[in-house]
Order: sequence, then structure tokens, then C-alpha cells
Amino acid sequence: MTGIVRATGLVKRYDRTLAVGGLDLDVAEGEIFGLVGPNGAGKTTTLRILATLLVPDSGDAEIAGASVRRNPNDVRRVLGFMPDSFGVYDDMKVWEYLDFFARCYGINAERRRRMIGDLLELVDLGPKRDTYVQGLSRGMQQRLCLAHALVHDPAVLLLDEPASGLDPRARVELRELLRELRSLGKTILVSSHILPELEELCTSVAIIDRGQVLAHGRVADIERRLRVGAVFRIRVLGEHEAHEAARAWFAVQPDVVTADLLEDGQVEIGFHGDDDGSAQLLATAVGAGLRVATFSRAASDLEELFLQVTAPDPVTAPHPVAAEVPA
Amino acid sequence: MTTFTGSRRLRSLRDVGTGIAAVGVKELRGRMRGRRAFVVLTIHLLLVAGFAWMVEGLAERTISSGFGGSFSASADIGRQMFTALLALLTLIVLVLAPASTAGAISLEREKQTLDLLTTTPISSLAIVLGKLLSALSWVFLLLLASIPVTALVFTFGGVGPDDMIKGYLVLVVTALAYGSIGLFVSALVKRTQAATVINLVTVIALTAGTTFIFVFWVAMTGSSGVLPDQPTRDAGPIDGLTHRPAEALMWLNPFVAQVDVICGTDTGFGASCQVVSGVTNGVTVDQQFGIARDSYWPRSLAAMGVLSIVLIVLSVQLVAPTRRWRIGLPRPRRRRAGGDA
Repeated sequence: MTGIVRATGLVKRYDRTLAVGGLDLDVAEGEIFGLVGPNGAGKTTTLRILATLLVPDSGDAEIAGASVRRNPNDVRRVLGFMPDSFGVYDDMKVWEYLDFFARCYGINAERRRRMIGDLLELVDLGPKRDTYVQGLSRGMQQRLCLAHALVHDPAVLLLDEPASGLDPRARVELRELLRELRSLGKTILVSSHILPELEELCTSVAIIDRGQVLAHGRVADIERRLRVGAVFRIRVLGEHEAHEAARAWFAVQPDVVTADLLEDGQVEIGFHGDDDGSAQLLATAVGAGLRVATFSRAASDLEELFLQVTAPDPVTAPHPVAAEVPA
Repeated sequence: MTTFTGSRRLRSLRDVGTGIAAVGVKELRGRMRGRRAFVVLTIHLLLVAGFAWMVEGLAERTISSGFGGSFSASADIGRQMFTALLALLTLIVLVLAPASTAGAISLEREKQTLDLLTTTPISSLAIVLGKLLSALSWVFLLLLASIPVTALVFTFGGVGPDDMIKGYLVLVVTALAYGSIGLFVSALVKRTQAATVINLVTVIALTAGTTFIFVFWVAMTGSSGVLPDQPTRDAGPIDGLTHRPAEALMWLNPFVAQVDVICGTDTGFGASCQVVSGVTNGVTVDQQFGIARDSYWPRSLAAMGVLSIVLIVLSVQLVAPTRRWRIGLPRPRRRRAGGDA
């Protein structure tokens, strides 16, 4: 492992509940790395261990070469953390908020003054410099919290559900901001439930469930490796007979594992092929005389992957080790 | 190797200083913002000055009416004012010091800002000391502002500058001890409201509570000689209770320490000295000069100082995200709530 964030065999229990059970991670420098998993999967616990807020029961993690167990203070100097739920101090102006955290890192007055202006511009809060923090909207507070994590110019950012509670516009702005941070050379670990957003944003993901990494790597690589199928919805012109004929036609095509007729007349198929295969299937359908009006994926790649990988059925769910894909 | 260790220690020390300054500046900005701080300071001074005026008037009337009149009437007025002012200031410190630290840590938890703070390199010691010192600096400011009013007693006499210094020293250490209690409770419990109530109960227990237990204990003990270890000659209401309570029971009660300071302004046989003699079981009573001066309050201050250090260390442990010792209130076991692990 050569990544800037490395975790080996992390285990954390709360009383008798196993929150993280032998988790391994390897995140390369400059990546936007997504942690995906259902509630209780262990995402927050993992991020809190990496942020030195929790000590693992066993295993260790290193950030930029510093161990979270042995050198937590060194880790804190290279790390910016934005927790899932965070608060703001009352009676504090926006610039004072950043000034306080900059003081915590021992940054001198001259650098603080320059840095606060730059950061407020970066997170688009320049005009709010003298506003009291509690007077900011949720989206603005989120951006301010992100700015607080950047006061010491850290190499790694840990963001726990950064988009939760944000309206669509604020989410788009946050996504753009994270891309900008990546272009500045930051490595970003982000956990989220909003899978399509992670898919657009992340260069790699780890799908976590029950405290273990089930799949790890680029979305396309995981998909290829696991041979996870896609769900397509096809709208064929015509009446019920035409729809039924189309369903019957798709059901016997290669790589099609299921074919169902939906109430709105669309045919939904489970397809096990790749992009070439789906293009070929569409061409064959049109060539066979089916009047295909639309042919589209029913869900995003990551959502399908997530559902497949975290499926409760042990037959369909891949083995954690077998699913490992190098980034 | 030694140089490396030395420079590392120096860096740690510098980091603690930086952390205390960061937290202190933030806290003081919040406390001193707007008119609130100046309004409170003005009310405080009006209260102290008005109280001094009232006591002076009462003392003057008592002396002029023939009760307690003496060749040193002015000095008596001075001593009475000094006693009353020290009592008032002690009460103010006992209320304000724990109240100003009651929310120091619990508010950070309630507002979910503690995680943001503990993921910075500032140590838990810096967080705790920064919070304590900034809260106490407000109390110290009130004490400092009251000095000119208290110094009015010099115009009457009976009290020396050294007595005033001793009185203020007791006030400062009391603020430190009770501020540390407030901080510890704040770090121990999650809610500021609960912390405030626990602090109030603690203050009452350590002042009125200890006094009640002491007096009750003495009353239940059989009469004996003056010496504390001397067995009783006559049985008291409770048979097994043969010894008077140790003075250590009252060490954390700053009113008794102030009474000892006031005893220093007295002849050695006055009412204040009688109280101290009762608390110390008469150990320091001299037949010729009355009670020995400055014997009790330094022990009381030392006890409060030790308590402060212990509570600060425990608070640091409670604030540290990865603390080694496990201390805390027992909680009922419950299943993990919804949301992520």
C-alpha cells in the first residue's frame, strides 16, 4: 500500500456491537474517495478513527505517514475534518470563526489575515465576513465548516455526509467546491448516501457494509470485476400486444437475465453485458422491427453496484475479499 | 537525544500556550462583546458600594446608640465593613465562578463544536485551561473592580493592607477551586442545565452543608477537653461519637477561611477568632494571645489548590477524545440509535 490514507485491519466495537470489523483502505494522493454504505455500515466510525476522535480496538491507520494511534497530533496537522453533524459558536462573526481555528493551528496574525480572505473567497462567503455565524443559512454554514477544515492547508480532507440537509443548489455548489479543492491537490474522503452525486464526484469508492469493505476501486473497475448487471427500461411504441411481444423478444436475448412488463407499458430488463453489449442489444432490437422509443438505464451505476454488493442474499453478494479491486 | 527531548517538550509547552491563547481569546471575545459585560460590571460595583455604605451606616448607628461603643469606634466600623464586604464578595465568587464555567465543555457538546476543536492540534489541557482562565478572568475583573470600594475600610482603620491582600488571596483561590468544580461538572455531564444545577448543589453542600454537618457533629459529640484527640468525659447524644470533626471538613468552605482572615484584624479573642478556634478544635489557641494568626486559611487555600489541580486533570481526561482513563457517570445500556455507526 502506498496511499496517503491507509488503514489496516481497523476494528471498533461499541459495547457488543461491531461497528467496524477489520476494515482496510488505501487512498491514493489527489483522489476524491467515496465511502458508500447503508446506515450503520461503519462509515462515520471509520472517518472518526481517521480523524483521531476514536481509537480503534485493533488495527491502525496512517495519514501522510502519521499513525492515528501513535502520533494523533501529527495526523491533526495534515488533516481537515468536517463531521456529519456540526455546530457553530454563537456570538461569533464569520471571520472570527476562521480566525479562532487558525489560532488553534498556531498560524501567525499576518498569515491569518491573508488566509481568511482567501478562504472566504474560495467558499464564496466573502460578503458575509462580518455576519454572525448563526445568521448564515445551512448551506453557508456547511461551506464555512469546510473552510474551517482548510485553515491550515491540510493535505487530506475527511468529509462526513457533507451534502446532508442541503438544497439542490447548495449541493451543486458543494460539489464544484470539492472539485476545485481536488484541483488544488487535496485528497478528499467523503461519505454520502446520495450515490449519483458520489458517482459524479469520486474518482474511487469503497462500498462498506457491516464494518467491512465489500468493494473498493473505480466504479467502472468494480462493475467490470463483479460483472454486476444493469437495469434498462425500454419503451416500445404500440399497444399491449406489442409490449408483450417486446418483453418476450428481450427475454430470450443473450445476457438478459430478466424481462418484465411494467404497468406503464415499459419493458424492464436485467442485463449482464457491458456498454458494447447494451448497444448491440439496442441495435438488434431495432433491426428486429421493435419500435423502440426510449432505451435507458433505470438507476445509476453506483446505485446498482451498491444494491448488488450490499444485497443480504449471500449467494448474490460477493465475498469481501473477492470483490477487492485495486484503485 | 536529550536536546531532542528538550526541544520536543519546549514545543509541547509552546503548543499548550498557543492553545490557551486561542481558546482564551475566543471566549473573551464572546464574553466582552456588546454592553452586557459593562452593564454587569456596573451593577456589581453598585451592589458592592451600596452594601458597604449600608453596613457603615448600620455600624455607625449601633456604636452611636451605645451598643458596642469603644475607644476604637472607627476601627470597629472598618472591621465590620471589611467583614461584610469579604462575605459579600465570597458569595459573589461562589455564585459566579462555577456558573461561568458550567457551560464551558457541555455547551461545546450541545452545540456539537467539541469535535471541531479536538481535531485541531491544541491539547485537551489547553482547552481546559483556556476555558477556565477566560471564565475566571471575568470573575477576577469583578474582584479587581471591587478593590477601590474595599479599600474604603482603610479610611476607618482597624484593617491593614496585609489583611486585604489575604482576603483577596482567599477570594482568588476560591474562584479557582469553584471554577474548577464547575468545569469538571461541565465536562462530566452532557447538558449545561444539569451542570448548572449540580454546581449549585455542590456549592451549597460545600458551604452550608459542611457547616451544618460540622455543627451537628459537634452537638452530637460528648463534651470533652479542648484537645481534639482527647476522649470525651461525658457521653453525648450519640454514644459512639467521641471525637469532634476534623477541621479538614471545612477546608473547602471559603467563608471559614475568610473568618480566619478577619480574625487577623481582631484581638485574638473576638467572635471571628472564636469561630476559627471552634473549627480548629482550639489547637491554635494561646492562653495569652488568643488564637494564633494566619494558621487556618493557608491550609484551606492549599486544600482548594489541590482540589483545583485534581479537577483540572480529571477534566482534561474527560475532554480528550482518546482518553486513557474511563471516568464518567454510569449510563443505562442501550441499543445503538439509528443513523450511521
